[in-house]
Amino acid sequence: MRRTGSHSALLLLGLLTAATARAEVEFYQTVDRTKIGTEDTFHLTIVVGDAPEGATVQFPAPNDFEVLQRSQSTQMSYSLGAGNSGVIKRVQKYTLTMRANRTGKLTIPPAALATAQKTLKTEPIQVEVVKGRLAPDAPPPGRRSPFPDPFGNFFGGGNDDSDPFSGFPQPPEPDVPRGSSDTFLKASLDKETAWVGEQVNFSLYIYSRADLAAVDAVTMPKLEGFLSEDLDSPTQLAPESRTIGGVPYRAYLLRRRAIFPLKAGDISIGPAEVDITTGWLYQGSRQHRKGNPLTLKVKPLPREAQGLNVGRWRINAEASQTSTQVGAPLQVRVVLDGVGNLKSAVMPKLSGPTALKIYEPTTTDKVQIRRGTFGGTRVQEYVVLPQQTGTFTLPAVKLRYFNPESGQVEESTTDPLTLTVAAGAGGQNYAQAPAGGSGGTDAAGPKNRLEAGGLKQLRHTAQFTSARKPLWSRPWFVPFAAGPLALTLGFAAFGLMRRATSGSDPASEKKKKARAARARLAAAEKLRASGKTADFYSEVEKALLSFLDTRLSQAASGLTREQLDLKMAAAGASEDVRARVKSALETCDVGRYAPGMGDDAARGRALDEAARAIEAWDDK
Amino acid sequence: MTAALLAALVLSQTYYTPDEAQAVFREGNDAFYQDPPDYAAAKAAYQKLLSHGMEGPDVLFNLGTACLANSDLGEAVLYLERSRRLRRSDDVEANLAIARQRQGDQLVGSAGAEPFLERVADATDDDATALACGISLWLSLGLVLLFRRLAPGRRGAVAFLMVMTLITAAVATTLVSIDAWAGTHYVQAVVMPATARVREFPKDGARVAFEVHAGLKVRVMEESGKFVRIRLSNNLEGWTEREGVVEL
Repeated sequence: MRRTGSHSALLLLGLLTAATARAEVEFYQTVDRTKIGTEDTFHLTIVVGDAPEGATVQFPAPNDFEVLQRSQSTQMSYSLGAGNSGVIKRVQKYTLTMRANRTGKLTIPPAALATAQKTLKTEPIQVEVVKGRLAPDAPPPGRRSPFPDPFGNFFGGGNDDSDPFSGFPQPPEPDVPRGSSDTFLKASLDKETAWVGEQVNFSLYIYSRADLAAVDAVTMPKLEGFLSEDLDSPTQLAPESRTIGGVPYRAYLLRRRAIFPLKAGDISIGPAEVDITTGWLYQGSRQHRKGNPLTLKVKPLPREAQGLNVGRWRINAEASQTSTQVGAPLQVRVVLDGVGNLKSAVMPKLSGPTALKIYEPTTTDKVQIRRGTFGGTRVQEYVVLPQQTGTFTLPAVKLRYFNPESGQVEESTTDPLTLTVAAGAGGQNYAQAPAGGSGGTDAAGPKNRLEAGGLKQLRHTAQFTSARKPLWSRPWFVPFAAGPLALTLGFAAFGLMRRATSGSDPASEKKKKARAARARLAAAEKLRASGKTADFYSEVEKALLSFLDTRLSQAASGLTREQLDLKMAAAGASEDVRARVKSALETCDVGRYAPGMGDDAARGRALDEAARAIEAWDDK
Repeated sequence: MTAALLAALVLSQTYYTPDEAQAVFREGNDAFYQDPPDYAAAKAAYQKLLSHGMEGPDVLFNLGTACLANSDLGEAVLYLERSRRLRRSDDVEANLAIARQRQGDQLVGSAGAEPFLERVADATDDDATALACGISLWLSLGLVLLFRRLAPGRRGAVAFLMVMTLITAAVATTLVSIDAWAGTHYVQAVVMPATARVREFPKDGARVAFEVHAGLKVRVMEESGKFVRIRLSNNLEGWTEREGVVEL
């Protein structure tokens, strides 16, 4: 028993009470504290020394208090009394574990000891009760748990890794619900706050002071907002001894789950429910109990940790061999190991140069639960098929993860793997590539595979230009392109204007007639091929005469050859020109009447002669 | 003196000499081919050249390829298309084909081919056509004048040349007109962000009709405020934010 030494008044009161019965009976009561909370339990101890035979103790039955438990102990002592006679003293102690039902200054009424002669009473005790909990519940004074654990620290004390649940923290001591304090259901979390994706252990216990015969049905709460993995679902009831508020209970684990919050915020977990049977055989009774709701505060992952695995992880890679031949597959194992939610863990992909064909990996998960912590090992086994000779490096695989313990992003990296690939000897029996692969093994053996495709290589030199607009959008382009058309139109307009203003200009008339003469010559050209010899020469003669009309400024058709020669001389024609003209006219005369002048060659000569005469005049 | 020094200072910061430009170009190539590759550094080097006015099909091609290797699909298509506009070549077409394979949108439905005039404009070299147009027009004028000067019997060859140059001038002028029309009315652009929302109406709260993804080539039809109306090659249309597309 632990007496509070500060409460000397109470002690004195007890001693005074004892003094009244010094000779016969010692009878008093004490409390271990005088200020308590409504959630606290306290102990009332009633001491009876040398009670006469047949005396009975009547315990106080206050309405303001609830008696959770009652226990009794007896102590015998032997001492020498007067005359060296031995005296045997017998002291009985009754300990009541109590809890206040309301706040205020409350009085514990006196206990009574009824003997054959009289009834003794203790003094009442006043205690001050406030709301809530002031101090942890004290163990019952002077004794240990009535249910000693025969296994001692077998589960909790050792570091036996073979027990997956060793090291589970004991759930916090629950509050005993009022009204059903004998048997109650309690859910608990091992953390009050957690990061998104961090493991939190959910435990569901049933506490009972009576024997449990069976748990008929357990209704778990909906764990919405969590990924849930089962850690323990006992199929048989296995009691653990617990003392709550000084009251011994048997605690039976019903479920234990690892839950991983999926979102940030306050996430509520509803109450679980259970149907149980207490007692044995036909004395049992069926009861329904509802547990307590829970709330978990979930912190969001830092920005840089979004999308990363949560936990503590380590990654490494190893190749089955580092030297191989083209077409001979090798295995690369990438192993992820650590604690956290393995099932939702994401592993980085192994990559490598195109000379190494890397097939999709096979993945094997081995979940392990160590000390109540979820984790395990994931092995991804890649088949790598070398397709070219050379030395190639599989780059390091880097895994970034968020460690909830440090609250920081951490990193684990493998070592790069260097593979040396030699040319394969033809016809060797190579290991086959996985189904669906193009392993390149054929009758001639694997070859150094040179495959086209992929990005085209960069240009090693450059020709630099400045950014510029297309030519057509530059201001000078339209005038440049439109210039010829504008000039053509300008010339045409100028000619029209000049013609309009000059009227019957002799010079222009001359030119016009000269053009007409040339046009006739062109018409004669068309007659050249026809069979009409006379018409042809007549046309050539007309063209010549028409030309002479324009040059002599008078009609030349009526003139004799001598007159014509004089007129041409007067017009400034040289002797040579005059001879050419006369010769051409002679040819026309001869051509009309003389035989042999109708052939094409003669006609051509006549045409050329006339044209040369005209040109000679123009060039004079 | 001070002004001259200042001008020299400004010019030295604005322009690269050809040797300096080649050095920066090689710097980008080295970053691309180092082990492990540093595509970001390669991009930065090529972009430095662009910011200093040192463009050209080679710089644009390398920049587009570096972006493609770095999985920046929008930029990759943009620069490769710009390189292609300056000079068509097999490697540009090959890398553009790879970029199109990686692009996340599959256009379903009719149409697909660009309108005839756009295809003509796309297939012709703007500058060559413009030069051919100007030269052939002037040559035609010269030949016309020569034709008039020559005597009727000597005009045959000149007449033939004149007709040929006139035909060339007509074709070239038509192509330049098409180029000019397409250049002002047919604006192509590339979607740059990983995902861009396309709305039914040029308004923030308007319903999202569909989404397009980086690297998709679209036609910009018109603009309204911060939105532009885009048309996909299957004639699907909608409004997206202007900053989400970059014109070629």
